[in-house]
Amino acid sequence: MKEKLEDYALSKSLKSDSGTIKVGIIGCGTMGQELTILVSKSGIDVVFIEISEDKVKSSFNGISNQIDDIISHWGMTEGDKRAILSRVEGSTDYKKLADCNIVIEAINTKKWIPNQPTRKEVFRKAEKVIAGNALLISNASTIVISDLASELEKPCRAIGVHFIAPALTTRVIEVNKCHNTNKESTEALYRFIRAIGKETININGSPGNISTRLIVPMINEACELLMEGVSTVAQIDKTMQMGYGMQRGPFTMADRIGLDKLTKWMEGLYNEYGDPKYKTSPIIKRMVRTGMFGVKSENGFYCYKNGKKEEKNGSIFNLGN
Amino acid sequence: MKVLVINCGSSSIKYQLFDMKDESVLASGLVDKVGLNGSYIKNKRNDGDTIKLEGNIFDHQQGIEYVLGVLTSEKHGSIKELSEIEAVGHRVVHGGEVFNGSVSINNDVISTMEDVVELAPLHNPPNLKGIYAVNELMPGTPQCGVFDTAFHQTMEPKSYMYAIPYALYKKHGIRRYGFHGSSHKFVSQRLSEISNIDINNSKVITCHLGNGASIAAIKNGKSVDTSMGMTPVEGLMMGTRTGDLDVGALTFIMNKEDIGLNATNTLVNKHSGVIGVSGVSSDMREVEAAAEEGNERAILALRMYEYRIKKYIGAYAAIMGGVDAIIFTGGIGENADETRKNVVDGLEFLGVDFNHEANKGLRGKEINLSNKESRVQVWVIPTNEELVIARDTIEILNNK
Repeated sequence: MKEKLEDYALSKSLKSDSGTIKVGIIGCGTMGQELTILVSKSGIDVVFIEISEDKVKSSFNGISNQIDDIISHWGMTEGDKRAILSRVEGSTDYKKLADCNIVIEAINTKKWIPNQPTRKEVFRKAEKVIAGNALLISNASTIVISDLASELEKPCRAIGVHFIAPALTTRVIEVNKCHNTNKESTEALYRFIRAIGKETININGSPGNISTRLIVPMINEACELLMEGVSTVAQIDKTMQMGYGMQRGPFTMADRIGLDKLTKWMEGLYNEYGDPKYKTSPIIKRMVRTGMFGVKSENGFYCYKNGKKEEKNGSIFNLGN
Repeated sequence: MKVLVINCGSSSIKYQLFDMKDESVLASGLVDKVGLNGSYIKNKRNDGDTIKLEGNIFDHQQGIEYVLGVLTSEKHGSIKELSEIEAVGHRVVHGGEVFNGSVSINNDVISTMEDVVELAPLHNPPNLKGIYAVNELMPGTPQCGVFDTAFHQTMEPKSYMYAIPYALYKKHGIRRYGFHGSSHKFVSQRLSEISNIDINNSKVITCHLGNGASIAAIKNGKSVDTSMGMTPVEGLMMGTRTGDLDVGALTFIMNKEDIGLNATNTLVNKHSGVIGVSGVSSDMREVEAAAEEGNERAILALRMYEYRIKKYIGAYAAIMGGVDAIIFTGGIGENADETRKNVVDGLEFLGVDFNHEANKGLRGKEINLSNKESRVQVWVIPTNEELVIARDTIEILNNK
């Protein structure tokens, strides 16, 4: 008979669930994939949930491609990739979340995706299968977390957590507690954030957190400057980069965030606060309508090829011709 | 008197139980994948009994608890009671400037060790976890910390300082520390036990060649220089690490490849060295096999690897004013006969008369590889870092 490790414990205090973290990620699009890599790279098991088997497959491909890209930029090795993938499981079945103590909702709420559940549906569905003390986290940056929490039987387990993109390299994570969030939940979350090597920025119940509320007006103002003909995209970016030591200028940042996503942020913030500084700039609206989303569509304020910026302006500048 | 030696890595625990009456190993083993999927413990008793137990091991404390459980078990154990273990010796990677020798561990020492963590953020925290765990599980048992850097604390400022603004040294402790101290110490001391060389009156160069590699100049028993620096990246070419690299080239790479600190760290620690140049493997045996089949980059990697060692031997002979013995140790130093041959080839001017016959095919055996008339003795001495830790632990305990 095979001997059991537990038989060799010195004391009976060795519980099988002490200190272990397992993470569930619902929605494995680009952000979900990035979160999967981030968590698994820290040695933590991840199970992600997608809406169809095809999506599960394409998410795995996405994860694999993202890691290959990191390897080609020297950030990981083939050995790291094998280790990461060995800790990841993908499924369409919510029951797979049963033994996760942290579940992160990272769904894409684009209107044109069919059969896409809402965040509230996702939260309700997940709560039915997870353990009593498991956390439910939303990665949405402009929602009111209390709204989502109110859907739950145990609202104390809901927390808004904003993983600022690129999640793998950004060192801080914004934590937005709602008034119901209890101490146990926040402590468990802090443990998790430390385990993935990040620092916590605590936010007191503010949709848009710090990062989104500051970045949105700046991008809007940059669009104003552009529309008034004050300067060019490249010059405005360069001013902020070189003048204020920012890593990227507002237009480069907008392209990287994705103009469609940015529009959602802006709408969310404008609805919440009613302040015109958050109102989507007409130039961004126009670009999104024509399918110019930034880096991902290879066309935004700049043109891109294989994720790299090209030395020419995006086709927005030809729209009037 | 029994001493348990523990070496905690980020996700592993290596251990050996010594009976210091005759320095014999009663049991040795490994706990692997701590906190990860598929964790297990593997224990080997000196009578050949081996056991592998798989299950959840979530942290170092739990891992050490199982180690103690196995060691005291009826079926696979080596002792009856935990109290038979009179002391525990820990390998600690970085001792900074504070620890210039092994120390008996108490609360003050632990808090000083915690201060040193920022110098080795990857290695020292797991070492400390091992110490905390033994504190919990075997309260009152004396513990000793043996530092990889301590043996090199005899280096003079002219060899350990970098030519950077002095304020940076004062502010952050940026200087060369050196590693593999227990290994360099063990083989140099062992040399004086097995040869006519008096360690206290000699010039010895020790080459620790494993996946990580470093070389040390030991004059009259004291380390006067070593190739690793503030971190284990400096010096010799290694399995996956660059070794010496122009820092100007590094900032150029960072700019051209548009990479940040993390990727740069991975680049110099994991993508470089033998695997980076050969594109084959970091395992010397695989690279040698590829070289034999004519793989040009594998051949280049091997030649570079040997060349760097030779360059350091020349430099260390110069700073010591000669050399009485060159010692090879570590996985590659003990086993790779071709590497040894190519390293000493051409060192006749220093007084090396190499015994090619004895070297050929020699693996992992303690032997003098130089001819009788050789002014410089060339030795292979298998290292035993665990024994150094056990000996230091006993010594500290006896002097207490």
